[in-house]
Amino acid sequence: MWTRREMLSRSGLGLGMLGLTDLLRGESARAESTATHPLAPKPPHFAAKARRVIHLFLNGGVSHVDTFDPKPILDKHHGQPLPTSQRTERKTGAAFRSPFKFAKHGRNGIDVSELFPNIAASIDDVCVIRSMYADVPNHEPSYLLMNCGDGRQARPSMGAWVTYGLGTENQNLPGFVVMCPGGYPATAGQNWRSAFLPGAFQGTYIDTQHTQPEKLIENIRNDFLLPGRQREQLDLLRQINGRHLSRRPGDAQLEARIQSFELAYRMQSEATDAFDVTREPQAAREMYGDTTYGRQLLIARRLLERGVRFVQVWQRAGQPWDAHDNLETNHRDLAKECDQPIAALLRDLKQLGMLDSTLVIIGGEFGRTPTVEIPTPGVSRTPNGRDHNHYGFSMCLAGGGVKPGYVHGATDELGWNAVEGRVHIHDLHATILHLLGFDHEQLTYRYAGRDFRLTDVHGEVVRDVLA
Amino acid sequence: MASLTRSVSCEVSHLLLPRWGESATSKLTLRVSLVFALFCVAAPKVVAADDAAAFFENSVRPILVEHCVGCHGPKKQEAGLRLDSAAGLRKGSENGPVVVAGDVEHSKLIEVVRHVGAIKMPPKNKLPDRAIESLTKWVKNGAVWPAVANDNSGSIQERSKTHWAFQPVKDSAVPTVRNQDWVRTPIDAFVLARLEAAGLQPSPPADRRTLIRRATFDLHGLPPMPNEVAAFEADESPNAFEKVVNRLLASPRYGERWGRHWLDVARYSDTKGYVRLKDNPNYPCSWTYRDYVIRAFNEDLPFDQFVMQQLAADQLELGDDPRPLAAMGFLTLGQRFLNSQNDIIDDRIDVVTRGLLGLTVSCARCHDHKFDPVPTRDYYSLHGVFASSIEPHVPPLIVPAAERPRHDAYLQELQRRTDQLQQFLRTQQSKLEKSARERAGEYLLAAQKEQLQANFLAVMFLIDASKDLNPVMTQRWGQLLEQTRKRHHPVLATWHALANLSASAPDEFAAKARELIAKWRDVSDPKQQLNTVVVRALANTSPSSLADVATRFGELFQQVEARWLETLKANSSAKQLADADWEELRQVLFGDEAPSVIRLTEVEEFLFVDTTTQNQLHDQQRQVEDWIASAGAAPHAHVLIDAAVPVTPRVFVRGNASNPGVAVPRQFLEVLSRGERHPFQQGSGRLELARAIADRNNPLTARVLVNRVWLHHFGAGIVRTPSDFGLRGEPPTHPELLDHLAAHFMAEGWSIKTLHRRIMRSSVYQQSSRDELSREREVDPENKLLWKMNRRRLDWEALRDSLLAVSGKLDLTMGGPAMNQTTPPFSTRRAIYGFIDRQNLPSVLRAFDFAAPDASSPQRHLTTVPQQALFLMNSPFLQDQARNLSARPDLIRVEQTEQRIDAVYRTLFSRAAEPEEIALGKKFLESNDGAAAASTPTGESRHLTRWQEYLQMLLLANEFLFVD
Repeated sequence: MWTRREMLSRSGLGLGMLGLTDLLRGESARAESTATHPLAPKPPHFAAKARRVIHLFLNGGVSHVDTFDPKPILDKHHGQPLPTSQRTERKTGAAFRSPFKFAKHGRNGIDVSELFPNIAASIDDVCVIRSMYADVPNHEPSYLLMNCGDGRQARPSMGAWVTYGLGTENQNLPGFVVMCPGGYPATAGQNWRSAFLPGAFQGTYIDTQHTQPEKLIENIRNDFLLPGRQREQLDLLRQINGRHLSRRPGDAQLEARIQSFELAYRMQSEATDAFDVTREPQAAREMYGDTTYGRQLLIARRLLERGVRFVQVWQRAGQPWDAHDNLETNHRDLAKECDQPIAALLRDLKQLGMLDSTLVIIGGEFGRTPTVEIPTPGVSRTPNGRDHNHYGFSMCLAGGGVKPGYVHGATDELGWNAVEGRVHIHDLHATILHLLGFDHEQLTYRYAGRDFRLTDVHGEVVRDVLA
Repeated sequence: MASLTRSVSCEVSHLLLPRWGESATSKLTLRVSLVFALFCVAAPKVVAADDAAAFFENSVRPILVEHCVGCHGPKKQEAGLRLDSAAGLRKGSENGPVVVAGDVEHSKLIEVVRHVGAIKMPPKNKLPDRAIESLTKWVKNGAVWPAVANDNSGSIQERSKTHWAFQPVKDSAVPTVRNQDWVRTPIDAFVLARLEAAGLQPSPPADRRTLIRRATFDLHGLPPMPNEVAAFEADESPNAFEKVVNRLLASPRYGERWGRHWLDVARYSDTKGYVRLKDNPNYPCSWTYRDYVIRAFNEDLPFDQFVMQQLAADQLELGDDPRPLAAMGFLTLGQRFLNSQNDIIDDRIDVVTRGLLGLTVSCARCHDHKFDPVPTRDYYSLHGVFASSIEPHVPPLIVPAAERPRHDAYLQELQRRTDQLQQFLRTQQSKLEKSARERAGEYLLAAQKEQLQANFLAVMFLIDASKDLNPVMTQRWGQLLEQTRKRHHPVLATWHALANLSASAPDEFAAKARELIAKWRDVSDPKQQLNTVVVRALANTSPSSLADVATRFGELFQQVEARWLETLKANSSAKQLADADWEELRQVLFGDEAPSVIRLTEVEEFLFVDTTTQNQLHDQQRQVEDWIASAGAAPHAHVLIDAAVPVTPRVFVRGNASNPGVAVPRQFLEVLSRGERHPFQQGSGRLELARAIADRNNPLTARVLVNRVWLHHFGAGIVRTPSDFGLRGEPPTHPELLDHLAAHFMAEGWSIKTLHRRIMRSSVYQQSSRDELSREREVDPENKLLWKMNRRRLDWEALRDSLLAVSGKLDLTMGGPAMNQTTPPFSTRRAIYGFIDRQNLPSVLRAFDFAAPDASSPQRHLTTVPQQALFLMNSPFLQDQARNLSARPDLIRVEQTEQRIDAVYRTLFSRAAEPEEIALGKKFLESNDGAAAASTPTGESRHLTRWQEYLQMLLLANEFLFVD
């Protein structure tokens, strides 16, 4: 929970504007204060460690049997049909051994494949969930399920729910930022939509293929006023608005809008600063690597540091990890791209003392089959890839009150199904909200005659992963 | 009192997706346990009154409703006990009280749910531990049953009998009030009566310039011109304001404003939402619906007809003008959910029921509505209406006959492309049908083996790898089997019997089948009569497995096809086979219910397993769509038409399409049918549905509409949940007023323009928005009693249009395909003509609280975020408008700075500048630091001049954005 002073200083709002009493009145107040100060910080239901979230979406379906969930039996039966099979999107055939070597890492000897040497080095800070499962073996509904808790209906995204619930700590930056270089992942803006929640909670999308801050955020820089002139404009505007308000005293809407120009003015410099990684020392830039992905995570860290509530980072547009064939090259290439930056982020957050209060979520929308995909014309050419597998896959959590250096759950011997300590996406959502201090059943929004929540009517907190 | 947070939501979507790899039973168990998870996880925090109430609502009532009320509620009172109200609980059972507050050990209820004594409840399945824990905690903490105003005692049915919104509209007598002078219209009397009862008084009337500004923004979404303000201020005639209102209503700008309000309700968008790569994301002529709506408002189309046309224009007599066909965009322009039919239908049910009736019917998709009298059966009655309505492959042309020659060249090419598409579909159709008939035996077997996978996702992706059967065809055979399992079918009864045998005694199948078939040879009951051709074929070959049986059937199907083809060869107009038994068999393959009969509109469904052909079809469709969307195309309408054979809907148990339950007729909602409900008779029933909604005796339609109109005049509705008039919606602040407006609205021919006049003539509307009345502000801070006018903020469209209007650049061209409003070069037409992509709504629209077109939007949010300010401070659009404003000839002509500032104030704020404001402006203009404005290569100044800086600043002022 924030202290009163902290809350005020971070929110950049005056006492009268904020209406502290509102904040203490619970859910109805959460809904009410949404109109005038949608992003003002609000307390969760109970004290919690995690205060911000970064979701590293490794989109396209990372193969769990090649990364965090070794299945030696596949080596034994490589090329032979397996006793059990599952229906997936396309046809698959015989067992397909992992082309990558696994080794045990960290205090607790957690298996990580050679794809992630740097993450392996930080595995003592990570909680691997090996028993995730989703609903369908297709990217689009699975993206939406992972992000919005529903595969098809228009529901608000997790980031929107979290900013609705908590507001954000820095009013000069958007509360929910989404980065993806060079375009959108499949289902695009639906992944960070606010749906029926107010538009203020929608994710602000940033195309990180650009490097100049002014290209990253819409309207963040003025290029038609001489230097200093905007301040003069806003000073006069304040007088004009002040005269207007003095004849309409006590109208909170008018006051809020007057304030919003000041916020916007400060946002220009603060956002430009936050997105400008050239202001980082050389060492930091090297630690994250001078790549688009590395830059994304460095920007993300700068945003988290400045109080942004929820940051989501996609690896590339489309569904890069989708290795229906050539899995080895594909996974090597993508892992190489993200391994160092992710490990750098974990170390960096720790170093800054922020890891405890930052929940890091790493993973994709589902896993991949232990069997080889049979090539289909136009989709995959050679039998050296895997199809989607939503019956069982792995995700990693770190920081924010999560049990470090721990493995939760398991898939079956072959890696088809989550069998022990099964965690549905709804359960993951319930757990994330819990880590942020919310009872997922109580964080609701009334719309179209009913109270909606991120977890719909599902979800159980996975207590085993809590520190 | 703050409303209690009840965590009751809906198991809508997730349950639609079977969890693959799990048997039906495990699915069921899982489902039940998830339901419990919802109800039982929450633990009470502090046992203060509110928390206890919340705990009851969240954790206890759901358990009682789900597990107890079935036998201890309004329908049954086993042991005399009712657990659906506080009173029932207090009374207890025949054997005395069941709960002793605070005393778990002596509470019978806890004993029975723990299954420790002789009586165990629920008798069959013990509640999960969490549920028992919750009940125990509840009793321990005093068994609080909150007596809230909307206590759910009594069933939904009982309460809905008295619920205000379901009562007939009643035009009550206009109340008498003390301050008669204030009463200009009956509206005033209704409002003043409540104010006086509360000891409050209304605000003084607004001044003339405020009034004309308010009226112009209200009806046009634009500021008044300075000369219009001056004329009104000078008009001393008693009906000066009425003249203003009439002038505004007569202008086409009116339809562009109010049409937009309706488009919010209609969740209008120019795109389909997320589509697969090859699909066209855009609706080729969505704009015809938008233009239809604008025209309907401008022409004051009676609202009942507006409703009729939007739901069933295809079935109305339209004469020579087919343009109203475009009205059906109301139904068709929703999100497409990757073509998932049940979701598309749900969206249509939602837009119709929330949009027109203020009822949240789609809550009843998975279970009976938890708060309103809408059983799941009713949802599926409507589902059947829309499942029986289809979209033609080529949207019909809506050009009046007389104008057709003008489009000759266009139409010829359209015909060519359409023919090509039709030809392609017919070829595919006959291929698919042929294969389906030839392999009917295999399908029969496959369908038997499959769990019925009726829903989209299951079919979409579950491709049986072992055989290359078409899963949609397998599913259809599955449906036929499902339908014939219970009712006797002379051909398939044998199949069902042998399939059961194969399931129950696979090892002894051959022997038992022989016995069974032998018995069939002498069935005498005509109701149990079996097809003798089938029985004979089975008897002759003694099947040793169900697969053998399927092979026999397959052979018979091939034989019957051969016979039929011969018969047709001999007599091409033959309608049936002469032999009754063979005809029965023929029906299975060629009859109306035959799975292998594929309609042209259904061809696409079957193609998804065949990517190549599917792509070819999409190319053909694109050819047509691209032509329809091309420049110079004639307008078309996105309509629905009735399917050749209407669907008899079945309830999907728990919303799960793969679990069809009882059949229900297509018919209207029970709660609005006043006891006399008849199944729809004509086709899909859409026309009858439209009539039932547009019926004067429907208690909701007129009320919901007048409330929406009121909302847009006052910023808040008389009912503050404009799309939810159900038991959990907010009750009206002025029920008699709402009814007065609804009654007169209908009596005056459902004219919305008349309704505007009625409202705007009132003293209530013409009040000042200055909240100078301190007592009133204290007693009624939300202004529910309307002691003042609400100050209103311009929405995105009004803001954008007004910026263009004052800068002199507003292009008033009406209608036609959508234009680009958010990236340069900006269109300068009104925002309603802007392209709306529901998949990627431009962030500026989201920042300005534009209605998300995902679903019907009752009312826009009103948030203040810095992104709005950034847009106004820095966007190229604002730069353009500041420059344009400075270039207005009428401003340039004014030479003196003071006068020029005054002229700007008149243009922007409809008033003269005050001396102090002029002084402030002059000071700003004169304090120029002299920095030279840089020039662009084209010679234009890159930076705004000082004067333009000043103008831009004024465009940012609260006075520009807020209407008093």
